[in-house]
Amino acid sequence: MSLKNLLSAAALSVAMLSGPVALALEPAAMTQMLATIDDRQRNGGDYKSLIYMEQKEKDKTDNVREAFVYRRDADDKLMILFSKPKTEAGKGYLRMDKNLWSYDPNVGKWERRTERERIAGTDSRRADFDESRLAEEFDPAYEGEAKLGKFTAHKLLLKVKPNVDVAYPLVKMWIDKDTNNILKREDYALSGRLMRTALYPRWKKIFSESKGADVWFPEEIRFYDEVEKANSTIILIKSVDLRPLEANLFTKAWLESKSR
Amino acid sequence: MGQLRLLMQVAFRNLFTSKINILIGGIIFFGTLLVVVGGALLDSMDSAMSRSIIGSVAGHLQVYSDDSKDELSLYGGMSGEPDLAVLDDFSRIKPVLEKHPNVKTVVPMGTSGALITSGNTVDLTLARLRDLYKKRAEEGESPALRANLDSVKSHVRQMVSLMEEQRNKSRELLSSAAVDPLEVEALARARTDAFWDTFEQDPFASLEFLENRIAPQLPDGDLLDMRYVGTDLDSFQRTFDRMEIVDGQPVPQGKRGMLLSKFYYENFLKLKTALRLDNIKQERDLNQKRIDTDPQLQRWVKENQTQPREILFQLDPIKTGQAVERLQKVLGSKEASLEKLLSEFLTTTDDNFDTRYQQFYAELAPLLELYRMRMGDNLTITAFTRTGYVQSINVKIYGTYQFKGLEKSAMAGVINLMDLMSFRELYGYLSPDRKAEIAELQKNSGLKAVDRANAEEALFGEESGNTLVAEATPGLIEDSKAFEGALGSLRRDDLASRVYSQQEIEQGVALSAAIILKDPEQLQQTMEELKQASTAAGLKLRVVSWQQAAGLIGQFVLMAKLVLYFAVFIIFIVALVIINNAMMMATLQRVREVGTMRAIGAQRSFILSMVLVETVLLGFVFGVGGALLGSGIMSALGSAGIPAGNEALYFFFSGPRLYPTLSAGNLIAAFVIVLLVSAISTLYPAFLATRVSPLQAMQTDE
Repeated sequence: MSLKNLLSAAALSVAMLSGPVALALEPAAMTQMLATIDDRQRNGGDYKSLIYMEQKEKDKTDNVREAFVYRRDADDKLMILFSKPKTEAGKGYLRMDKNLWSYDPNVGKWERRTERERIAGTDSRRADFDESRLAEEFDPAYEGEAKLGKFTAHKLLLKVKPNVDVAYPLVKMWIDKDTNNILKREDYALSGRLMRTALYPRWKKIFSESKGADVWFPEEIRFYDEVEKANSTIILIKSVDLRPLEANLFTKAWLESKSR
Repeated sequence: MGQLRLLMQVAFRNLFTSKINILIGGIIFFGTLLVVVGGALLDSMDSAMSRSIIGSVAGHLQVYSDDSKDELSLYGGMSGEPDLAVLDDFSRIKPVLEKHPNVKTVVPMGTSGALITSGNTVDLTLARLRDLYKKRAEEGESPALRANLDSVKSHVRQMVSLMEEQRNKSRELLSSAAVDPLEVEALARARTDAFWDTFEQDPFASLEFLENRIAPQLPDGDLLDMRYVGTDLDSFQRTFDRMEIVDGQPVPQGKRGMLLSKFYYENFLKLKTALRLDNIKQERDLNQKRIDTDPQLQRWVKENQTQPREILFQLDPIKTGQAVERLQKVLGSKEASLEKLLSEFLTTTDDNFDTRYQQFYAELAPLLELYRMRMGDNLTITAFTRTGYVQSINVKIYGTYQFKGLEKSAMAGVINLMDLMSFRELYGYLSPDRKAEIAELQKNSGLKAVDRANAEEALFGEESGNTLVAEATPGLIEDSKAFEGALGSLRRDDLASRVYSQQEIEQGVALSAAIILKDPEQLQQTMEELKQASTAAGLKLRVVSWQQAAGLIGQFVLMAKLVLYFAVFIIFIVALVIINNAMMMATLQRVREVGTMRAIGAQRSFILSMVLVETVLLGFVFGVGGALLGSGIMSALGSAGIPAGNEALYFFFSGPRLYPTLSAGNLIAAFVIVLLVSAISTLYPAFLATRVSPLQAMQTDE
């Protein structure tokens, strides 16, 4: 046995004896974990959900809405269409290619918005409603295990990949060890400043015919604004419908027609 | 009596005998001059500023809700718009205020601001094209519409080729890694004949390709910050006599609409190249600056030379051809590229500037849209309402206006006027119906409140009952009926043409109200009485003078006055000390004289009076001189006027020139101050003089 072999054997035994320390996940395993999270929320066909949004701000009355979220994951398309209260009905967002369009039937105009757009003025962003693309957009690093209430989670630090435009370039994510569902995420600005915290306390799944597997969704998301500390947003996904949508739904013309 | 004559004789005799007296006289002379001129200027500026503020938006008094967190600040405060509580119903307040005999008119108001976003030039042109195709889909094609479609389409095609040109140019500068292949591919596709030949087969799909893949390749349009005052426009125009329409027309009675401030229109909505030319002209004509010596002017010329894109993108192929032709003629050039021609044309020097300026407006301007917005266009304004919901409305621009004398004031110039109905919509106000609707939605959500501090424990703890795996009931979401009753194009047209009655305008939300008084002299008293009247009527109102209502500007006026008065005060303290010292020296010089007088029987009181009368006479003679010169200067300034060299001065002068006036009050004040200062500063030396004894005097050396 050469000296080199002896040393590596010693190192190995030290590593094995050094108590029940959680082993860091390999990069490949982390990417796989993100890909799993993405894949579980994706549907092969179309996706429609009814959501409820509630925004709380300091010194203001709560501001609530209901909206339909439409997704065609195969083409990366997304539409958010507000339905309640009455004054908000017909307003919407439409994502086509890399453009996020906002439409207001009161003025009949389309405006291009950025990834940083606060959806309807709340603490939510476009990506919170869209198909999950974590593996595609971020490079993960492992930060150990953490307890969150009764759950044990992997804690990952995600950094945005070059040339990808996201609302927050740095994300810390707590992923439940048992179910692989996201429990918590902290969104940071490039400067390292914490901008927003999100909690995902409940996950549900629904069987999709087109995918031939379950589609997962967070039933409730709570966003806490870390800049304006008094502001927070709750999103409830009330129901999900996976039937095919109209072919021309993700067009400006369709959204315009809804308010004519 | 005889003694006084004697004293006067002595004083006159001594007036010009010593150098020290001349020095003291000089100080008094300039002191008086300063008080007369400074005081008169200050008073004139004060009254000019008051006129500006009262006559533009403030009125003599302003009332607003006493529940407001911030103080009213009509011209905006340090941290944006002040937080004011709303006056629920202006029609309830108006009669209470109008009952006061000194109140002439009451005008409802509200100030607010919004950020106006707009797409880039390609976005805007594509939006126009989309509207044309929508029109065709609804009404069918007419020859006029067809021609219009073709013209806009060729314009878009021209833009695409310009974009490709620019991309090729920047490719030489950028590394290949910075070029997104998808963008290149999209641009290449939009350049092909095949794309344009098949455009009509599915125009909306073609448009979406251009909107999503081509337009984003240009930078976004400018963000525009806009402040506006929502008001009863008719009543506003009748009440504020300094307001005048410049372009377009007033908003017809009872209609929705806006009047942009001329200053805002010129400085923020004009084509940048034209604005820069205007600025250079103004600096050259008004301030006698020259391009070859002034770096700011050089910068403007440079920007005009290097930034022709705004013009290039604006012109469709036909107009581009015309522009090339005209510029070739003007420059005597054979160059075919409009970009190069423009760059050459806009390379202005002190020698050719005036010609080029005139040529720009004569030859190029008719081909261009000089302003981002024309009279009669709709402006889309999006605002965050007080309720948290985002509200957008279209408001028609009827014209531009200015406040006479405040044409150049950047402070008054950013105030745009809007009808009260549009203002209310942007302001947002939760009617009881809406409140109930929101409460119902909130109740149905079944959400339980979670305290932020221990949200994690509440949501993830053992007691939370939350699980990470659950089967969802497959739901069928019915969305087809959800938008019935949604607002739409019909409502938009309806709003634009609707005429509101005076009652509708007055019944509703306002943030403040301006009051014009019959007799402004009784401002303080009326203010107190209105406060009492509103309390008696159960209205919680704050009544403030225009100076308070003008916020920062009002405080600035006050500050400016205080600073000037303080400066005058300091100058007189200094004068006091100098005169005092000089008199001390003068007295010490005269120890022998005083001693001799005392020896031959002069009483101490005589000596005291002698010194005092001398100084007062000195003050009087030189004071009159200073006052005369001051009056002369003021009358010269009063007829010639003092030009306002910059925009801030424009406001303080309430116009391009200040014509100061001199009041008797200024003269009397100057006199009183001068005589008092000289008398006070002589007291101690005079006292010392009385202490001189003949013995002491005789012992003093020469």
